[in-house]
Parts: sequence; structure tokens; C-alpha cells
Amino acid sequence: MFSLLDPPVGAMSWPLCLLLPSLQTYARFTGAPLKVHKISNPWRSPSGTLPALRTSHGEVISVPHKIITHLRKEKFNADYDLSARQGADTLAFVSLLEEKLLPVLIHTFWIDAKNYVEVTRKWYAEAMPFPLNFFLPGRMQRQHMERLQLLCGEHRPEHEEELEKELYQDARECLTLLSQRLGSQKFFFGDAPASLDAFVFSYLALLLQVKLPSGKLQAHLRGLHNLCAYCTHILSLYFPWDGAEVPPPRQTPVSPETEEEPYRRRTQVLSVLAGLAAMVGYALLSGIVSVQRATPARTPGTGALGMAEGDEEE
Amino acid sequence: MSLVAEAFVSQIAAVEPWPENATLYQQLKGEQILLSDNAASLAVQAFLQMCNLPIKVVCRANAEYMSPSGKVPFIHVGNQVVSELGPIVQFVKAKGHSLSDGLDEVQKAEMKAYMELVNNMLLTAELYLQWCDEATVGEITHARYGSPYPWPLNRILAYQKQWEVKRKMKAIGWGKKTLDQVLEDVDQCCQALSQRLGTQPYFFNKQPTELDALVFGHLYTILTTQLTNDELSEKVKNYSNLLAFCRRIEQHYFEDRAKGSSSIRLS
Repeated sequence: MFSLLDPPVGAMSWPLCLLLPSLQTYARFTGAPLKVHKISNPWRSPSGTLPALRTSHGEVISVPHKIITHLRKEKFNADYDLSARQGADTLAFVSLLEEKLLPVLIHTFWIDAKNYVEVTRKWYAEAMPFPLNFFLPGRMQRQHMERLQLLCGEHRPEHEEELEKELYQDARECLTLLSQRLGSQKFFFGDAPASLDAFVFSYLALLLQVKLPSGKLQAHLRGLHNLCAYCTHILSLYFPWDGAEVPPPRQTPVSPETEEEPYRRRTQVLSVLAGLAAMVGYALLSGIVSVQRATPARTPGTGALGMAEGDEEE
Repeated sequence: MSLVAEAFVSQIAAVEPWPENATLYQQLKGEQILLSDNAASLAVQAFLQMCNLPIKVVCRANAEYMSPSGKVPFIHVGNQVVSELGPIVQFVKAKGHSLSDGLDEVQKAEMKAYMELVNNMLLTAELYLQWCDEATVGEITHARYGSPYPWPLNRILAYQKQWEVKRKMKAIGWGKKTLDQVLEDVDQCCQALSQRLGTQPYFFNKQPTELDALVFGHLYTILTTQLTNDELSEKVKNYSNLLAFCRRIEQHYFEDRAKGSSSIRLS
């Protein structure tokens, strides 16, 4: 029995760790008994980062590739029936996705101004506890921007718009190639899903399901009907009850409320305490209330009288 | 290249035939060039040989800085300069020569995917070995990279490049990898290539394509470059069909041609 610590859908490095939904998908394809815990604070995960897998032996694995390797070792292998050549094809297509599609997804969600402000930042800010929601999304954006620049922009720093166009052109070509490879089959390698399907599905589902204000790539993807049908097919087969949950921005997240309860309570208590401390401190400092030290010779009676006098002065 | 510039270049490229004096620029072969650049340069040379286009290889110490994109190799054809295998393939296609026209859509998709696999895994592993493995860096890379320049420029340039490459490795998640993990990735990549090649002479049966050129470039360079240890080439040597593949291309496109003309030599 494994438990996968997962951030709520739409939060915490989802576009970056695109293996995340693919991990869930892979687990469902193979039938691995996986329990998903949705948490939104990475510090609450046992390894300090998300995603993290806690195995039945109590071990914690947090590198996505190692999670898949572990599942395979426990005999949950979706690629068992593939021939050697199909296994090689899987590796090749995963590389293609990572090189061509991933930079554009990072760009779409984090760099494109409209999308970032209206969708991504809102997601993370809503899902994260106070005070992380103020600075963490901004920090993640800067990290992604730097990463994208290192990956693609080293040699062309002055032509940002051209670079963008080229990136999107590459991504469109990649989607078209995927569509051609899939053809009219149900899955990439025949009738049973494999790990390549989990990867491709996680990228495509992200693009298709989220309502983006400026979705140039989305429009192209919608034009490739066999890929859209492929996504819907997998969604209906393996995520039938989650179908409505997948696009979070339009709906108010109902499920993470129970997780937010302790945060809300804690935030309330903290803010009340802070307010009280501020008021008492101000009162003491400005002399409205003064605490008089009772000398040891005084009897408790007179001590109480002194306090009463102090109250009367107030 | 932007879309407009690309269209423009294709138009111009289409008009002129391939000249006799086309040149390919790379760094100095004996003292300066590094593993990854050598592989890229060899891939382009192999591709042009497969297209039957004559090319002269010229070695310059500042080839990296002359290149429009900062990467070697680049070719100078007529009055145009094009760098890196991808754009060169497109440029050559605009001139009417192509190796992948006979492929159907699915095969083209696979070819592109495998080319990305080689770039993603083999090239990155080569860069890692050159710039992030302390033994190789100290003994080979620093000495070679700055060799044409006087002190202290050679040290400064080498450290600058190393810093750049390390940043990039960190960005793509290879920063924390150990050498063993990198070698395992190379093994996985070679296994995939070997399985895809099978018993065929080339990746897409009878005719070589740009994928064959790219794979040849990388594998041949790995096999023939002397590094601090032999682990990298051992990984490739495990796969006999890949060795046969390299030998076949070397014999067919380099040695046989060299007997006919002396314009290109593989050493």
C-alpha cells in the first residue's frame, strides 16, 4: 500500500513536475493501490518536497523517476507487454516531449503575463497557507523564468518575441507529430496503456482542461481531434469521478477546505493574539496602564488595594 | 531564426545551387575541440556526405564566437552562414536535397523523437562529463578549451564556460547526478538506439537519414576519443550492432570517398 502525497490539483509545481499527474495516471493504469493525500504545504511532506511517495515499508521517495522505478520493482509495470523496440520508442518520445513541449508549457503557465496573473498565481495563492502565498508564487515564477532562459534563450537574448514564436512553433510541430504517431489507435502501443500514455496524457490534459485566457497552443491542440479523443477516453476510463475536479479555476475548491480548516483556525488565533499583544504593549508603554510592584513588606490586602487604585485611575 | 528570416533565407537558398567552396568551421581539431563539439561537427559532416554535397572543413580557434548561434559547427555556403544540425538540415532541404523525403508521417515522427533522445541524453551526458566531472575537467577540458589563448585568458574563458554549463545542468535537473547515474543514462540511451536499429543497416532500413548522421557523429566520437577513463566508450561497445553501424558509415561515407577525393578526411 503506497500513499502518495500530492498537492491539491492546480497547486504546487504542477506544470513543472508534470510527472505528478502522470504518476497518478501510471498508478491507475497498473492498478497499484495508491492512496493520494492532497496537501498544499510542501513543508508538511516527509521529505520536504512534493510529490513524495511513502511506501508500505515507511520509506519516502521523492524523485519522480525513482517513484516509477519503485512501482515497477513492486511488480506494477505498465510496460511489461511492450517489445524492446516499443520501449526504445517510449524513451525517444518522452525526450521529445521534454525538449519541445515542456518549455512551452512552462512559458504558457508562468511567463505569459495574462495566464500567470489570472490563472497560475491565483491557484497557488488560494491553495497555499498564509504567509507562503505572498512570496512563494513569485519565487517560483522567477525560478521558471531563469530555467527557461537557460534552456532556450542563451544564444538569442535580444529577440524575445521571435524566441517565443519559435518555441510555440516547435511545440505545435511536436503535437502534430504525436497526433501522427497515435493515428487512430486507442493508445500509443495498441490496446493497453503504457507509461508513455501516462506522460502524454498528463501534458495534454493540463493543456486541454485548464481554461486559459491566452491559449495559443490550446487552440492548436483542439484542432488535433485524435489527441482530444484520446484524452477524453483516458479520463473517462481511469478518472471517471475526478472528471469534474480536474479544472479547478472555474470552481471553488471544495475538497481542500477541510485541509484549510486548521490553517484558518490557526490564522485566526494568531491574529487575535497579535492584536492583543499590540494593544497591551501600547497601553503599557504609553502609561495608560501601569503595573506597580508590590514591596514584600506589604500585605496582600493593601496590594489588592493598590491594584484597585490603579484601575480607578484608568 | 525568426519565421520571416527563415522564409527569406529559404527563398534565397532555393535559388542558388550548392557551391563548390562550401566550408564548415569548427575548433582546432588536434588541440582545442572538445568531445561534444567534435560529435556535432562530425554529425554535420556525415549528413553532408550522405547528401553528396562537397564540404571543406576549416579549423579556427574562434569558431565558437564566429557562429551566429554560439554553437559549432557552422557552414558558410554562398553568402549565408547556418549553424547546428537542425537548421543546416532545413537549409539543405531548401536547396532541394533531403534524406527524409521517403519517410511516411509516423516514421518522420519517430525520427524527430530519436534525434531529441540523442540530444537529450547523449549530448547532455557528454557535456556533463566534460564540464562537471572533476577529473576530466582538470586533466583534459581546461587545458584544451583555452589552449589557443595566452594566460590568463585561457583560464578565464574555461571557467566562464564551465560556470555556464553547470548552470544549465542545474536547470535541467542534472546538477545533482553522479557520474554513475550519467553513465547509466548513456547505457539506457544506447540500448534504446540499439533496439531501434535492430539488424537493419540504417535506422530507416535501406537509406540513411539525418538521424543516422547524428547517431554516428556522437557514437564515433565517443568511441575514438581518449578520456581519463574508458567507461563511456565501454557503454557503447556493449552493443555490437551500434559498432557495426559506425563502421559501416565510416567505411561507406568517409574512407571510400577519401580514396576518391581528398576534400575530407576522418581522423
